[in-house]
Amino acid sequence: MSETIILRIENLHTFFYARSKQAFVRAVEGVDLEIMQGETLGVLGESGSGKTITALSVMGLVSTEPGVISGKIEFSSKGLQQNLLQDLDQYVQHQRKNGRIMAVQKDCGGWQRKTERLMGDIRGKEIAMIFQNPQSSLNPFVTVGKQITEAVQLNTEIKNSREAQQRALHWLERVKIDSPRLRYHNHPYGLSGGMCQRVMIAMALAAEPSLLIADEPTTGLDATIQAKVVELLMELKAVLNTTTMLISHDMEVIGRLSDRVAVMYGGRVMESGSVQEILRSKDGSNHPYTTALLGCIPEEKHIKDKITLQAIEGDVIDTMNIPGGCRFYPRCNQKNDRINQSCKEHEPALKEISPGHWVRCWLYYDE
Amino acid sequence: MRLSFVRPVAQQLFRELALTALLLLGVSFVVFLVLYFSPGDPFSLLLEGQMVTAETQQQLRMALGVPEHWYSQYLFWLGNMVQGNFGTSIRSGLPVLPEIIRVGINTLYLTVGSMVVTLLIAVPIALSPAQRGETPLNWPFTMFAYLVSALPVFWLGYVFIYIFIHQFKLFPILYGYSSERELTPLFFLLPILVLGVGNGTISEVVRHLRDEMSRVLQEDYVRTARAKGASAWRHAFKEGFLIPITEIVAAKIPFILGGAVVVEQVFNWPGMGRLAWQAALDRDYPVIMGIAVVAALFVRFGTLTQRVVYVMVNPRASQERER
Repeated sequence: MSETIILRIENLHTFFYARSKQAFVRAVEGVDLEIMQGETLGVLGESGSGKTITALSVMGLVSTEPGVISGKIEFSSKGLQQNLLQDLDQYVQHQRKNGRIMAVQKDCGGWQRKTERLMGDIRGKEIAMIFQNPQSSLNPFVTVGKQITEAVQLNTEIKNSREAQQRALHWLERVKIDSPRLRYHNHPYGLSGGMCQRVMIAMALAAEPSLLIADEPTTGLDATIQAKVVELLMELKAVLNTTTMLISHDMEVIGRLSDRVAVMYGGRVMESGSVQEILRSKDGSNHPYTTALLGCIPEEKHIKDKITLQAIEGDVIDTMNIPGGCRFYPRCNQKNDRINQSCKEHEPALKEISPGHWVRCWLYYDE
Repeated sequence: MRLSFVRPVAQQLFRELALTALLLLGVSFVVFLVLYFSPGDPFSLLLEGQMVTAETQQQLRMALGVPEHWYSQYLFWLGNMVQGNFGTSIRSGLPVLPEIIRVGINTLYLTVGSMVVTLLIAVPIALSPAQRGETPLNWPFTMFAYLVSALPVFWLGYVFIYIFIHQFKLFPILYGYSSERELTPLFFLLPILVLGVGNGTISEVVRHLRDEMSRVLQEDYVRTARAKGASAWRHAFKEGFLIPITEIVAAKIPFILGGAVVVEQVFNWPGMGRLAWQAALDRDYPVIMGIAVVAALFVRFGTLTQRVVYVMVNPRASQERER
């Protein structure tokens, strides 16, 4: 694994405006992430923690207004290096209060056109994306083969349609679809969910991207199919070594596929580090949220002794109304008298508690 | 594989044609009943002012071979119609079918032309917000579309005549002005424009197309297309444009035919609408029946085209038929 950083996200803010409630949805508020060449970064978190929105922000595909409003997304690959949010400041004006963005004015149409220009050569070619719900994410009017062929023609050197078709067939074989020649001519509704996900994977990989974003690749599939898709992703990872940003709420999937993990909660990264340190930590030095998540994994003893499964108390944070202190404070079960006041009032910064292991929690601050 | 839609389309066509036959039967019967029970009849109009006795009338009917009872009249007409004989006009004595075809072509020009005008106006208004986002021009253009759709077509016709013929003297046809410019061959554009603008369809096309397109552009599969660097429009075209356009055009054909009757009156356009109007005044039953059948065919043809397009575009629809 080389030390080249392919993608660096700095202080990303992506907000939505909920017209009915006259309030901001702070979907992503200050996310920092880094992905190195050749590694798989797992992004873990409950639904609504901003994982998908972070990915869509990278792709420039956030369709709800105001969308991305500040931050930096540096993408570098094949001698190309640029900030995907270049000149964003010219389209957005925001007012901050206590360091938080309180009001936004954005020329969404203008930024949209700018993004299309910035992303023109990157989307699909350099960064490809696998979506959740494969069956609704494939065009129902076009055969799956043609959809892959299109990806080949748009994003690789192969422009000749016959060659592109051969290439598409090759990718259908690579993702282990039975009788690819027959399946080539199927429309998505004729295929099962698992097959559709394989097609999605083939379509993303057909572009031979520098970075692959897999957004919940196993969600919405049967448990057995999930296992098979994970297996396929592991095999492809071993062969192709594609840099991947893997988004999932499934710790099992993250644990098996990732090299490093970032845990997100309420639109922020709460903890990041290597997969060993976070998911298989021996001394239990984790963010309380990660600890709580790990506690939710059913173990053998639960099944044997019929113990009720663990769940984290309370609901996922309401991103329209984020309190001033730590985002996880209302649900945290490790708060104590020493830090209680800090937790309630101030949000801690990420602190490196061991090399490469960052945690955003007052527990790890001495004072 | 490219021909995979042939069979479902053939099935669809067969079904639609069978339905059309039934529908024509129903339409002709209802029209016949309405004519039968409405006051007046062609003979009293034909012999108006000639001091005829009931006896003479009866003899005339016998001479022209009109069956006595209403049901035998209908069956007589139906039997001939099935063989392609729509009878002869009571007023002019000419065979009905060639006459309808002759003027029907003019009406076809008018209606198809006006549909093109409608789409040329409505489609850009509908799609520009999806393409360019909300711009300050959207609102006035949409208002324009709704306003124009609310204008009565006969009024619009007279306004056009006033402006182009009376005021600017571009065309010589009415009021005996001589044209100062060589635009006379373009006169036919005027009624097409009037019907295209005034048929009340523009706002419906704008609304339906805009709703459908913006819905489809939000679909997951369009997002996938954008993520792989493909054009969102190309992927949204079938569901977001082709299907809604054929739907709305097919649904609006009856309204456009209705508008054509008025526009043909206003502009003296020798089409089916004028023929129908004249035939109604004369109680010219065979002509009215013939026009009713042909108009119903027009409408059915629109629906049929829409169904065929839908089945060709949507693989799932054809799959369902096969199962």
